[in-house]
Amino acid sequence: MSTSSENIAASSKEAGADEYYTYVEGVGNIPRDIYKYVKSDPLGDLPRYSYHIVIQHFLTFITFLILAATGLTLHFASLWWAPLVMKLFGGPDTARLIHRIAAALMVIASVYHLITIIGGTLHKIMTKKFNINRTQIPLIKDAHDMVHDIKYFLGKEEQRPKMYKFMYKQKLHYVAILWGTFVLVSAGTSLLFPETMATIWPNPRFGQDLARLMHADEAIMAITVIVFWHWSNVHLVPGRFPLQWSFLTGRITREHQIEEHFLEYVYNLKEFPEEREYMKKILRENGYDTN
Amino acid sequence: MEFIKILTSKTLFLAIFLLFSFMAPGVDAADKENCLMCHKYRQIGRIDEKGRKRSYFVSENIYANAVHRNVPCRDCHTYIDKLPHDPVTQEVNCANECHIKPPFSNENFSHKKIIDVYNRSVHGSKDDDSAELKAAKPYCKYCHLNPIYTRVDEQRIAFEETLSRCLNCHERKGVTQAYKHITHRLRSKTSRSPQEIVQLCAKNCHADLVLMKKLKVSRESMEAVKTYNESIHGKAIGLGSQTAADCVSCHATSSIHDIYKKDEPHATVNKANLVKTCKQCHENVTERFAQIDVHSEIGPHEKPFLYSVNVILGFVFYGSVFSLIGLAMLESYGRRKDGISMQIVRGTSWRGESKRKKSK
Repeated sequence: MSTSSENIAASSKEAGADEYYTYVEGVGNIPRDIYKYVKSDPLGDLPRYSYHIVIQHFLTFITFLILAATGLTLHFASLWWAPLVMKLFGGPDTARLIHRIAAALMVIASVYHLITIIGGTLHKIMTKKFNINRTQIPLIKDAHDMVHDIKYFLGKEEQRPKMYKFMYKQKLHYVAILWGTFVLVSAGTSLLFPETMATIWPNPRFGQDLARLMHADEAIMAITVIVFWHWSNVHLVPGRFPLQWSFLTGRITREHQIEEHFLEYVYNLKEFPEEREYMKKILRENGYDTN
Repeated sequence: MEFIKILTSKTLFLAIFLLFSFMAPGVDAADKENCLMCHKYRQIGRIDEKGRKRSYFVSENIYANAVHRNVPCRDCHTYIDKLPHDPVTQEVNCANECHIKPPFSNENFSHKKIIDVYNRSVHGSKDDDSAELKAAKPYCKYCHLNPIYTRVDEQRIAFEETLSRCLNCHERKGVTQAYKHITHRLRSKTSRSPQEIVQLCAKNCHADLVLMKKLKVSRESMEAVKTYNESIHGKAIGLGSQTAADCVSCHATSSIHDIYKKDEPHATVNKANLVKTCKQCHENVTERFAQIDVHSEIGPHEKPFLYSVNVILGFVFYGSVFSLIGLAMLESYGRRKDGISMQIVRGTSWRGESKRKKSK
């Protein structure tokens, strides 16, 4: 089944991303904008994240908020609100401990994520289910998708590009998180264990200054991106407002899946017979041919 | 009648209460020569030659509870030799010997020892100092201003329990004060809070850049307060930490007054002594650890490479954040135009009509 879905994915790519109809065996020709006609459950219709990912996201998101609150307060210690927030955490000496506990938890969550991702990938390779298109690995197609999508937003294209499980935005964000976590954890370790790191850094004076700089700059950038981009993207933009439940349920709504992850939806169709039946029904209702 | 009875009894009660509350606690300051005969009057004072009002009032209560309560007036004000005395023109010399004998010693007490340490330090007056520098250098009372001569409150750790053992043999009055005198010096390096120490060093002096420039201090000293406040030590102290390093944590030994310039061999911040200095708080300190910059300033002249890294990161940061927000806004604009509504209602958010020009 998986191999056939790969074939379909490959054939649809060969047929051209701009094709309006996509032929899926057992369903028929699916028009690209069918997502405007389907019904969705706000809590999600189709599986997207395993419970591992949901737990990891939850851990990361809670620790991130704690780290941001304690860290920003220390970084902007001279501003008027800093002493007030510091009082909430029980003073800088307690806040320091809280920051370190949260950091340790975040590192645990990151290691947990790496284990599940690497283990899952190895398992998929061994069972011959691995498909590079369904991973977070950035590909040249993503650059094309992005250009195509921007053209669509500007009204110069008829339809959105057909994307896999992770679109260009998500891959960008994922790479940023990998880089950001690496920088923050390594710089933070250097700040937490200056005695040990002084023996490792080739030039401790420079190394420690760099760690201080990178920890603060990278953290502020991460916080800004999360608050102003990630949250608006997942919860505030039309169609996702007021809350996208994926981060708790691990499931994605049907219209979202078809709109932004069309090729993943094709994979879902191959996987779930009831989804095929539903799609056929929708196609018939809207006057399209089915088989 | 009943009412008046109650009123009188209440008034009597109030009168007795007021009488007690106005009765001063026993004042037994060391005023054997009865200076307070005149100085106890609140109005005692004059207008001096410069037209400033000077008060010569000494509050018995405050003096009786101050650190110098047992020192007779003339031990410090030695120049007074007749009554009524002449206008005072001399400052008090804290290096005087006073007629107090510390326990287990037959010598008269004096601050001379610490003043010698202080005079050798960078803050002590030197012969080759310029007039400006001499004027700017702090003297005892600059830091030990002790506004109302209050003692440090030392009630933190099992105060009553520990003190009760002393009281088995000693009288409460003396031993309480002696206990406080010793224990608050055991708790931490300074009896003042780190916040007070930073205030004392910075305010009106090391943070006064005009004064510092006049005294021709080094670039590091000019920026010392700023770089300290930006360091992790300074930020933690600024937010109320009691454990992070303040100025004298690093710049002085436990005698507090021996602050030297860093190129002098006695200085705690001299390269040769840094390991020992850092070891007061940090574990496993090595030579390499001591290289880490404490007053770190990342500016275009001091650290050009790190400065450019910081600037480039700033551009990358603003560039990516604004372009990502721009992308999200463009996306919402495009999808709204294609007919999406804000919320999923009745199973779909694509309820609107597409307003795009070409539509299938």
